Amino acid sequence: MKRIIQNMNGVKNFSIRHKNKNWLRILIGGAILLFFIFIFNIFSSPIKNYFYTASAPIQKTFWNAGESSSFIIGSLFNGVTLSKENIGLKDENQKLLSQIAALQSIEQGNQAQSDVSATCQNSGFKLVMAGVSGLNNDILSINKGSADGIAVGMPVISQQGVLFGKTLKVYKNFSDVMLISNKNSVINVKVQQNLTAQTGDAVAPEIDGVVKGSGGLNAYLDLIPISSEINPQDVLVTSAIEKSFPKDLLVGEIIQKQKDDQKPFQQAQLNLFFDVKTTDNLFVIKNYKQAN
Amino acid sequence: MWQKPLFIIILFYLFILLQNSFFVHYSLFGATPNLVFILFFLLAFFVKKDRNYQIIYLSAIAGILLDISSYAYLGVSIVVLMAIGFMLKKTQSSLKNMADSYPFAHFLPLFIVFFIVYRVLAMAYLQFIDPSHILMSFNLSFIAGIAYNTVFAVIGFWIFKKLGKKALR
Repeated sequence: MKRIIQNMNGVKNFSIRHKNKNWLRILIGGAILLFFIFIFNIFSSPIKNYFYTASAPIQKTFWNAGESSSFIIGSLFNGVTLSKENIGLKDENQKLLSQIAALQSIEQGNQAQSDVSATCQNSGFKLVMAGVSGLNNDILSINKGSADGIAVGMPVISQQGVLFGKTLKVYKNFSDVMLISNKNSVINVKVQQNLTAQTGDAVAPEIDGVVKGSGGLNAYLDLIPISSEINPQDVLVTSAIEKSFPKDLLVGEIIQKQKDDQKPFQQAQLNLFFDVKTTDNLFVIKNYKQAN
Repeated sequence: MWQKPLFIIILFYLFILLQNSFFVHYSLFGATPNLVFILFFLLAFFVKKDRNYQIIYLSAIAGILLDISSYAYLGVSIVVLMAIGFMLKKTQSSLKNMADSYPFAHFLPLFIVFFIVYRVLAMAYLQFIDPSHILMSFNLSFIAGIAYNTVFAVIGFWIFKKLGKKALR
């Protein structure tokens, strides 16, 4: 009897020892992990930079493979000609919208002042061309960094003058660009009403609002006074109020407005003009004077 | 002995590059498959009961790669994945035993639930959420993301069951 009890105690002790051993393993593992996390964060920038530099060729290959294969698959559904024509029309449309935005700005303000401002803003920019190599959570990776004169907060645009976002983190050889669709992104915009179709009058009062990112390459328009009239197809361009971005860069167009008379502001769903999938090169504006 | 961890590291590395480059072009309403999370979940799901400590190194590899490729502090994803991994094992152990130790009937609902948990936690640490953002965050892209990732996870589950189970154990 005594022997059985001794055996049972032995089993119990072994079980407790085994459990303690497991906990000890987990604790040691956790401690080592925390130590490594701490070390990693000290050297976060060089680690990310080395990782990017080493992975850039493979990532670029995957990017190009994805781009061409999605184009082929898309072509199978839509027809090659249609797809090419669509891209051409899109580019042309964005250029025209950019011109309309500039024209409206000229008509509304003082002609001379606008000319000076347009000259300063549109032709005085120092641009750095950068290739796109990755996208994660509405953060775009571009292959230029501090070695190319890029700093945090610089606006990033396409060749058509479409706003993509601004540099969020800059490493030696690459940078992270926070797209305007990122949930942390809030930018001031002007709504340029498309009244030509309705009244024949091309010039309409501009409405100020903000574009907030909602993730997944989407964004919405907010803080539009309830009394203001906005409509689908109204174009949004950057406003210079915040001074984070140059004015009159193309942002997107309204798809559907959400108006509730009980709320002081109305919102609207947007179609952003930037297209990450078909963009290979972007431009970072190096010399725009920033508020921050 | 060392081949298995090395193979897992290479697989995670390739998957992070693929999800950030190749699959960007195959987004569905703005959602792309999170291959690293799917692989982590599959590996964690098939970890044997007495080897739960493997969750630590799995989450360390997956988490560090996710953090390097995002703008978050290094280590945040490790902690999130580790919490998810251990919660998954705890849930699995409390589920009714079936003839198959790793049934699809367990995998599918667990993946969907833990993927939503992961997305919510990721949202909390990657984005500062103001009240107006909360409603907008649960949009079509969010739902599409769950559906899209579930499809990949299901494919991965069957591949893992048929081919990879022995190789990765």
